[in-house]
Amino acid sequence: MTNTAGKKRAAAQLNVVEPGGAGAGGEGEAGICHPGSDGLDRIAAEKARWLKETYAPEVERKGERMPFVYDCGIEAAPLYTPDDTGRSVDYLRDIGFPGEFPYTRGAEPGMNRVEPFVVSAYSGFGDPVACNKRFHFLLKHGAEQILVANDLPTQCGYDSDHEMATAEVGQVGVAIDTLADMEALFDGIPVDSVKRVGTLCNSLGPVALALYAALGEKQGIDWSRYTVNLQNDPLKEYIARGTQILPPAPAARLAVDPVEWCADHAPHWSPMTVCVNHINAGGAGSMKGCAIALANVVHYVDLLLARGRTIDEIAPLLHMFPDERHDFFVTIANLRALRRVWARLMKERYGAVNPDAMRLRTTVYGHGQEALQEPLNNIARTAFGTLAYVLGGASYVYIASYDEAVSTPTEQSLLVALRTQQIIASEHGFSNTIDPLGGSYFLERLTNEIEEGMLNTLAELEDAGGALNVIEGGIGRRIMTDGAVRRQRAFDSGERPWITVNKWRQKPDVPNTAFRIDPECEKRQTARLRQVKETRDGKRVEAALAEIDRACAEDRNVMPAVLDAVRAYATIGEICEIWRNRFGSFEPNTDF
Amino acid sequence: MSEKKRIRVLIAKIGLDGHDVGARVIARGLLDAGMEVIYTGLRRRPDQVVRAAIEEDVDWVGVSILSGAHGTLLPQLRKLLDENGADDIRIMAGGVIPQEDISLLEEAGIDRVFLSGTSISDIVSYLTSESSHA
Repeated sequence: MTNTAGKKRAAAQLNVVEPGGAGAGGEGEAGICHPGSDGLDRIAAEKARWLKETYAPEVERKGERMPFVYDCGIEAAPLYTPDDTGRSVDYLRDIGFPGEFPYTRGAEPGMNRVEPFVVSAYSGFGDPVACNKRFHFLLKHGAEQILVANDLPTQCGYDSDHEMATAEVGQVGVAIDTLADMEALFDGIPVDSVKRVGTLCNSLGPVALALYAALGEKQGIDWSRYTVNLQNDPLKEYIARGTQILPPAPAARLAVDPVEWCADHAPHWSPMTVCVNHINAGGAGSMKGCAIALANVVHYVDLLLARGRTIDEIAPLLHMFPDERHDFFVTIANLRALRRVWARLMKERYGAVNPDAMRLRTTVYGHGQEALQEPLNNIARTAFGTLAYVLGGASYVYIASYDEAVSTPTEQSLLVALRTQQIIASEHGFSNTIDPLGGSYFLERLTNEIEEGMLNTLAELEDAGGALNVIEGGIGRRIMTDGAVRRQRAFDSGERPWITVNKWRQKPDVPNTAFRIDPECEKRQTARLRQVKETRDGKRVEAALAEIDRACAEDRNVMPAVLDAVRAYATIGEICEIWRNRFGSFEPNTDF
Repeated sequence: MSEKKRIRVLIAKIGLDGHDVGARVIARGLLDAGMEVIYTGLRRRPDQVVRAAIEEDVDWVGVSILSGAHGTLLPQLRKLLDENGADDIRIMAGGVIPQEDISLLEEAGIDRVFLSGTSISDIVSYLTSESSHA
């Protein structure tokens, strides 16, 4: 029993700021544990003794199980003690309180105690009519936000009847050509009935924003009554995701147009989500991935400031999509570190004073090391991955379905995913305390190391000329491929265990029961497109398209012109063609 | 060994699928294993891949495809290679492809399908053993 009591005391010491300690502490003295400098020295000495006398002999006898290096490159120590954070962490300066600068412990004051993270669904397949049924299914079972997955022709700016769209219509998302498709997609779903609605469309942000703005008009719902969220982050496409259309510089210029437009017309919308997700998954790792994404943030922000906008006006319109899929505690520390880095970047570099500019809201997508083998195991993997995001204080939480590595999810797998989110939001007491792992010697140390890693890489990228040079000079791609090769070797050698893939090995299998897109979908969609083109006012479309081109030529914000074109049922392909003609197409990179 | 021709491989992305990390990792792995490797870059049409394969005189075209368009684009690639007198160029594909589609692809002349998660060494030993039989 005395043991239990001892543990309780230790826990109390961790989480509570002792009245005498923190307030009185000068620089470096107000650490998370307050034994004072002498005390820290004693603990450090004792840990060295423990490592040598107690731990090492055990390792000598039995060996350690594996090299303990996280995917992001940081090495894990066997044990963390107060001296790991006592000198480097100043509680009030670096950790603080939820909803207050530097937002390490959370972007909002009450976090999941007050308003649980938004249970979000990323979904889409086939044609808008088929997909609409899926959305009704999701909403019926509790999804609070829908992010529409579009097919590749849509995301790459080709209409469904274009040669490049062959065999791709409706395949990895729903096909959208015109506003008519949006009306069908949201039939019976008022845009203000969900917390947020939106899509990725990284390379056609202005068109996507216009489609969602015009959809509200069609449904008779004022822009002030709903919230649109876009990814609209073209810069990462060149190194990570591959839906780029134009060269990077004009793509970034078009991407900030919706942000500027929202500042004037819908300041509560979320028109840009700067992503780490694909950069990490593509090999960069979560820490360097954050640095690359932050370099992209800097590029977008600088473009907006150059237009005479203020940081306090535009930073609240941006949020980020951090990502870590391999290491649970790194996920938590990564979110905490990123919030702190963002807050300081906005305040110290850009002079922000508006708390909303310094408070970073995050979208996350719960993954794990999902495998094709025995796919039900992915339920456990994605649940752990999602839990880590929630413990790290994510704002908008998506989760991968267990069959997502194989195909578009089935209704059954989607429901399991949705219920997993709801379980994390409501069961196990996960939400009872804000930032529950804050104050852990280990986690605070990890948060510091990750913050340092992000800042060091960001400085390197900026020395190399910033976001556009990271893309065009090949640095970004090199970081990605080097990381992906390192990751592959860790799996091939078994250094990083992967159950059923390199340990308890099973043969990979993509079952024939995997979700299939109705083969008639392409025909239905091209027929719908033909019909829209036949019935719309052609002259009005032509005039609207010409005005988009003029806005580009005169370097004006394209949003008003694009909105008019979308209202006139111009197609996504027609609008993107104007941009291709004016700015040229991207050059595929053949390095590896 | 030294006079033996090194295996030449064109790694290709066809269609709109933009995820090319797998393709790049395979390209690096084959290069490290002593093969000559060329990568097409993103978003190529089958006819462009065929032209590159013939110009570069490769032994294999390795296509990475994750968008679900494999059933149309891979047989089209095989047909175009054959029509252009390159029936000696063989095709391997990588991606997430259901079992029943693999059989159909094999019937359409795709030599081998590797599912996501295959180790580089498995691919290297396959290509090496196939080439020594040739």
